[in-house]
Amino acid sequence: MNASTLVERERRESDAFRLLERTLVRRRVAGVDARLRVELAALAALILGFLFWQVRIPLDSLERRTGVATVAEVEFAGLAALAIGGGGIAFARHTVRLRRGPGGPAWLALPVTPRALGRHLAWGSRATAWLALVPAAAWVLAGVQLVPAWWLVLLFAIFVWMLLEAARLGCWLAVRDAVRRAEPRSGLDDLSRVLVAARRVGTSAPLPAAHWRRQPAWRALLVKDLVVTRRPSPARQRAIAPIALLVSSAVAWALPIAPALAHALAFALGLLTAATLAEWIIAVAGTDPFPVLRGLPLGVASVWGARLLWAVLGSASLLVVQALCARALHPMALQVLLVWLGAASLAIGALGANYAVTLYPRVEHAQRMLALSLGLAIAASLMIPLVGWVLVFTALLHSARRLPGWSRQEAF
Amino acid sequence: MLRIERVSRRYGDLLALDDVSLEARPGEIVGLLGANGAGKSTVLRTAAGLQPPDAGRVLVGETDLWKDPVAAKRDLGYAAEEPEFYEELSVDEYLAFVSAVRGVDPGAARARAADLGVRLGLGERSREPVRRLSHGMRKKTSLLAAVLHRPAVLLCDEALEGLDAGAALAAKQELRALADQGAAVLFSSHVTETIERLCDRVVILHRGRVARTLERREWGAPEPGLSPLEREFLALASAAPAEGAA
Repeated sequence: MNASTLVERERRESDAFRLLERTLVRRRVAGVDARLRVELAALAALILGFLFWQVRIPLDSLERRTGVATVAEVEFAGLAALAIGGGGIAFARHTVRLRRGPGGPAWLALPVTPRALGRHLAWGSRATAWLALVPAAAWVLAGVQLVPAWWLVLLFAIFVWMLLEAARLGCWLAVRDAVRRAEPRSGLDDLSRVLVAARRVGTSAPLPAAHWRRQPAWRALLVKDLVVTRRPSPARQRAIAPIALLVSSAVAWALPIAPALAHALAFALGLLTAATLAEWIIAVAGTDPFPVLRGLPLGVASVWGARLLWAVLGSASLLVVQALCARALHPMALQVLLVWLGAASLAIGALGANYAVTLYPRVEHAQRMLALSLGLAIAASLMIPLVGWVLVFTALLHSARRLPGWSRQEAF
Repeated sequence: MLRIERVSRRYGDLLALDDVSLEARPGEIVGLLGANGAGKSTVLRTAAGLQPPDAGRVLVGETDLWKDPVAAKRDLGYAAEEPEFYEELSVDEYLAFVSAVRGVDPGAARARAADLGVRLGLGERSREPVRRLSHGMRKKTSLLAAVLHRPAVLLCDEALEGLDAGAALAAKQELRALADQGAAVLFSSHVTETIERLCDRVVILHRGRVARTLERREWGAPEPGLSPLEREFLALASAAPAEGAA
């Protein structure tokens, strides 16, 4: 193949992928329904507002003490850190995609060059880095009237460039890491080796015999959730965090630290256990194939009940663990801890169950909504103590109102 | 009895179903024939409760599917064109789950699954994770799950496509047996020969509308017994194992 043919081929591939990427962006934007768009925009605005005030006050005081130049330096440092964070997100996303096998057609069967394919796959992973735009916008806005406007515009432009480069670097590192892990195969380029390894899943051993038993639908779902979680699946990956955090919340009481600190640490880890349990509930609900679940005579009560029961079981486990490990605490203090932790973890778990059901089968949207709701609740509680709980309960009630519409939800 | 009354369905600008009415009576296998994109799968997905119609209604017996979906789906079975499963479960575990949710007697369901599994050529693969099955094996699993509870209304979307001849024959026999026991079967295919041989009535869809309905007498009696190709395949299959590994 001569040089001009190669150049022509690369140009054609590049055009084709650009067209595909534009179409995918349009399709994904259209896939988010109008109501969810408004909710996401509102949550982003609230997060932006919260961060703005958190940064604005220290920047203002800095400007009075040290002048404009220092504020600009802090602005730049913050934006650089956010860009690096965005790169980290892209790295994590690309690592996971390369390990599981990226979605889309059978890439290895297509006559595309590894370079063009690698670029396209990285494009898909880099998109997640744009999440850093919301805090970056808050960071830049916090400097308005403290530094000249054109400095801020310049800083934001530099941030966008840094974010793009950091995301590129993150994806490149993810590819290098995946190549290092992939088996060496002669005659195959690096990316093909990674993709070949990613597609090899499962074991050859037969599974244990099935249990044929009479049981209510919610229990059949519960048992099925457990089986799916014990096997290699997205649900299994999500189950590791709540188990590890549950153990950590117990270990917190045994640490050689002040009792008050152990108390606070155990409580915080308990809340994190609940949050990650809620994420697992969404993940396990997401393993339900839409045509299977919707084709069966299942009402929303059975589906929601099974998922809520996991939240209840998770809360109960957390309380048992805390009651056993925090025995040194004064009985009254222990009671308060258990009541607070029980109510909070149940609310968070139930929120996960609600999103898992009401946003089914859009697992990613449900995970995002949970993260945004909890993030907002934390932010609100930092501003005004306990207000976060009001937000959690509001989100719980709001999502519960959507439950009756479950049977009319569609896959697309 | 399945009755689809004046159902319309739109996907964005595309009118996929336009005022479609049809019915499948107990004991009857109704064929849905049409070109790709004619609306066959949309009819079946709407009748299976996977997507609500924009207008019209679906009655399973006397129950309105979209007003009381749980009651209606107890009597429904649906075999999808591109079946989806819990990929981590084995075929048996999947069938046990489906039969538990449907409230089928576990002993009877297990025996029926074993019997049908052998007839469809799934027997030896029943403890393998679904994700390792070939397309044909997945279709067999989907069909098995759809008929396990002997539904009063069975919806089959291109259910025989992708099956080997032995399994296709067993599947056709099972559909006929279900119809003989009083089930109403709505069966879509773009293979006219399958429809001719299997169905009592045919509804032809064209661009989302019912273009024509034909009774069996209108297209003549099918040849009795096996087709020559089926006979040849079965002779070969008796000497060699059924469909191999994924």
